[in-house]
Amino acid sequence: MTDAGTGPRRRTPAFDRDARAALAAVGRRAEIARRLELGGAEAVLRSVVEAAVALFEAEAASIALYEPARNLLVFRVAAGEQGQGVVGLEIAPDRGLVGYVFSSGQALAIADVQADPRFGRNFAEQTQYVPRSIVAVPLLDERGTLGVLEVLDKRSEASFSLRDIELAGVFARQATVAIRASRVERDAATLLRSVIGALTGGEAPDGGVEALVTAALADVDDPDDPLWPLVEQIAALRRVAPEQRELLGSLLDVLVRQAERGRGRRAGRLRAPGG
Amino acid sequence: MTDQLLPAWSEPFVGARRDALRHLPPFGALDRGWAIGGSDGSGVTVAIIDSGVERDHPAVGGKLVRSVKVELAANPDDDPVVLDDDDALDVVGHGTACAGIIHAIAPGADLVSVRVLGPDNRGKGIVFAAGLDWAIEHGAGVMNLSLSSKSDALFGLFHDLADRAYFANALLVCAANNVPGNSYPSLFASVVSVAAHDLPDPAAWFYNPRPPVEFGAHGLDVDVAWRSGSRMTATGNSFAAPHIAGYAALIRAKHPEVTPFEVKAILAATATRPLA
Repeated sequence: MTDAGTGPRRRTPAFDRDARAALAAVGRRAEIARRLELGGAEAVLRSVVEAAVALFEAEAASIALYEPARNLLVFRVAAGEQGQGVVGLEIAPDRGLVGYVFSSGQALAIADVQADPRFGRNFAEQTQYVPRSIVAVPLLDERGTLGVLEVLDKRSEASFSLRDIELAGVFARQATVAIRASRVERDAATLLRSVIGALTGGEAPDGGVEALVTAALADVDDPDDPLWPLVEQIAALRRVAPEQRELLGSLLDVLVRQAERGRGRRAGRLRAPGG
Repeated sequence: MTDQLLPAWSEPFVGARRDALRHLPPFGALDRGWAIGGSDGSGVTVAIIDSGVERDHPAVGGKLVRSVKVELAANPDDDPVVLDDDDALDVVGHGTACAGIIHAIAPGADLVSVRVLGPDNRGKGIVFAAGLDWAIEHGAGVMNLSLSSKSDALFGLFHDLADRAYFANALLVCAANNVPGNSYPSLFASVVSVAAHDLPDPAAWFYNPRPPVEFGAHGLDVDVAWRSGSRMTATGNSFAAPHIAGYAALIRAKHPEVTPFEVKAILAATATRPLA
């Protein structure tokens, strides 16, 4: 603060720049932590959808999780012969059956899905599979809704029963517990809002808290950032069997040393012409 | 079933368990002929707080008299805003399904859509509460809710709204939410909470004398209206609630003097008898 005058403290451009950079760094770290932890939960989620497919004798089961920073539901895991096409697909949280189940927290089942020329059809066609019947249940606990579990096409019946909805709810609870257990501060935006709130004593800076949060997270979701494949790989390494971790750790050590040597050589070459 | 599978709010209304609902109602003279005979719901306004209602859907029968949407204010510190939704959209189909069920039972009732689902998922509990508040203020006699909040931070707000509805002579009909823990306002004592039974009969509803979920109604393989003028088969507690909302509208139209707790008592007294 350079202004020693009376009245409210005035922020300098340099302070603003530093504060924004710090917030961006917080957001980035939260996102890294989220992706690392989610990697661990995904193994459990995968086993949940696999169990759901087996128990319901269904064509497919999948779990979509809500990404607060982007306000989207993203399908993270799937199982079953017809399930794989859905992984990675994103939908708005107020659209279609999955969006409704997420937003309302109400478990639903529908049959004759194709009776509606538009409902879910475009989305289903992206996955190369148009179901006849769906049961969708929220991943819900005392703290809120994390996503949706859906099971498609029970082979033995044309539609899902009330008991099927109950049972799907049990699977959803398992998934919810797995996510909660592995989650640190999952939502970078929520974290940033609370950080900014604490820094400003609840008094929103110029432009509002949301503008700051948006700016701080602007680069986090850049799919071209080479950091994210690395994070995904580390997350995958965390999932391997404990006895393999030591070996993988040693291999990583070697790679890191190689990379550092390479960087040293390149830096040396760059310096050489100048002196 | 193990305890871990609980709460299964439909359990008391399904199969052999339903027989255990036998209960001696202290209303000897009440029957459905007296309660709803000849009533078509005329004069009663039913608010559907949901995903919107498609005005032109044949199942709604032209009875959608108003449609509003609730959105978060630009400044997150301000209350949500309620705007006229002249296009009367339903981005999902669910609100139209509820409206169609209510209209099939109470074709004379006016329907009002309060759309509380929007593209922005932040603060959805607040948006939902604001929609409920608007419906109470605008004279809905019956409100159909399939949404609920699990946020303890909103307990007080929803409790206040449930009380205000009760004292404003507005009946809240809520779909039970099959999830452990609290669920507001669907598990408040002043509302009518509904789960699905497994009979293919829209005219059958059951009273469960062991709350929290007091009523079971048609919710399995229900033929419902859906978006874009279509229909489909759907299952869930949220299709059971509008059946009770429809019958409540019939009662309120025929007996305009009855209050929410009396409507509930009449619904209990005229419920389908197990093993009848």
